[in-house]
Amino acid sequence: MSTRLIRYIEGESLVHRLDPRAKLTFIFFMVFSLTLASQILSIIPLLAISLVFYSSAKLPWSKTKATWKFILVIIVILSLLNYLTIVLLYSEGPILERLASPNAVRKALMPVLKLLSLALVTATLVFTTPPNLYAPALGQMGFPYRAAYVIQLALRYVPEFMAEMGRTLEAQMARGFRPRGGRNPLARILSVVPLVVPVTVSATLSIYDIADSMELRGFGEERCHTWYRELKLSKWDKLLLVLSYSLGAIYILLFMI
Amino acid sequence: MGERRTLSTTGIVAMAIGTALYAAFNVFFNILQLPGTQLVALRPSVAIPMFFGYTFGPVVGFVSGFLGNVISDAISWGGFWWNWDVGNGLLGLIPGLAPYFISKEDVFRRRGYLVCAVLAIVASIVGMGFAAYTDYLFGYGISTIEEATYALFLPAAVTDAINGAIITPILVAAYASAARGRARRI
Repeated sequence: MSTRLIRYIEGESLVHRLDPRAKLTFIFFMVFSLTLASQILSIIPLLAISLVFYSSAKLPWSKTKATWKFILVIIVILSLLNYLTIVLLYSEGPILERLASPNAVRKALMPVLKLLSLALVTATLVFTTPPNLYAPALGQMGFPYRAAYVIQLALRYVPEFMAEMGRTLEAQMARGFRPRGGRNPLARILSVVPLVVPVTVSATLSIYDIADSMELRGFGEERCHTWYRELKLSKWDKLLLVLSYSLGAIYILLFMI
Repeated sequence: MGERRTLSTTGIVAMAIGTALYAAFNVFFNILQLPGTQLVALRPSVAIPMFFGYTFGPVVGFVSGFLGNVISDAISWGGFWWNWDVGNGLLGLIPGLAPYFISKEDVFRRRGYLVCAVLAIVASIVGMGFAAYTDYLFGYGISTIEEATYALFLPAAVTDAINGAIITPILVAAYASAARGRARRI
């Protein structure tokens, strides 16, 4: 169920076949390098790498349409907001000259390109990595298995709580509650608010039962934990790791110069 | 709260349940974005990491907010922004500092609920402040401090503070009476 909820898109591309540990390391260094990059010339190579990474995943347009719609809305809003703020608050001279200033356009676009690179790499990770591999990947990267297990357990319970919300709403309606719906988005949001308290309290009360049953099955007894899915690095994974570390080193050097 | 180790089985299950609850509600509230608030969603669910932080400690609160936001963003649109995830983690971490301000006995009493509401407001200011101003500092999408303040920080912090200050004490009080009624540990 969580596989369907988390936007994993099945595929046979090179990015799909990469080890999740290599992908997580790559994402970390991309985010790190993007954070350090402060000139448009240092952002463009990172954007190019993100585009290559995304296009190598060969993701179908029909399944990524909603993501692109969201990214484009954010980009258009932020570009306009950046441009107008810079032109109106941070420039001097006649308004037409300020509007046509290449400096204003550059300053407005630079952070948006950064954001686009970030969105591309994180979306590629989510679209190409099966959710059941996150915990084994983190566990085999050296994270304590108890910490990695939080992700496994959380992904298992997300669909359960979504169903619980539906059941609670039905139970409330059977007792006479009529949620306001229709086209008014505020009314629809407010109709979900009465679910927050009962669903949260009933879920919280179950914590001790789940913990007890896990301990009865021996969870936490052994310090060492093995994973059913043993991940192996291929030559492409090693190449991606070398690229990731090199990227990190280059952007640290550029930042220090 | 003192005897609960962060990485005890109870702590781990609390982190997972908090994460799953926050993600499940966020997915719903992300769909129902108000017109004109494309940059910041109105989410009454922010009370969930605050409640988990207050009840189970700061680390459980932080993980619930951080991981819950990563998962809900991954479900809603397919990616995630790390600084907004950390900001959401802070929403859960700060109410978890309650035992530094009140005695253990007061946590589930009227005085505790008041402290909980105040910490929810502080958490909203610090958490959303972190997310909005790191967007500005690292140049993620915005380029001026005015945008960080008026387009990101104020809408996010004000709505989260209102939602958190009202709903979190209600959650804590409801949980305390439900747990007492069932003779459970709280």
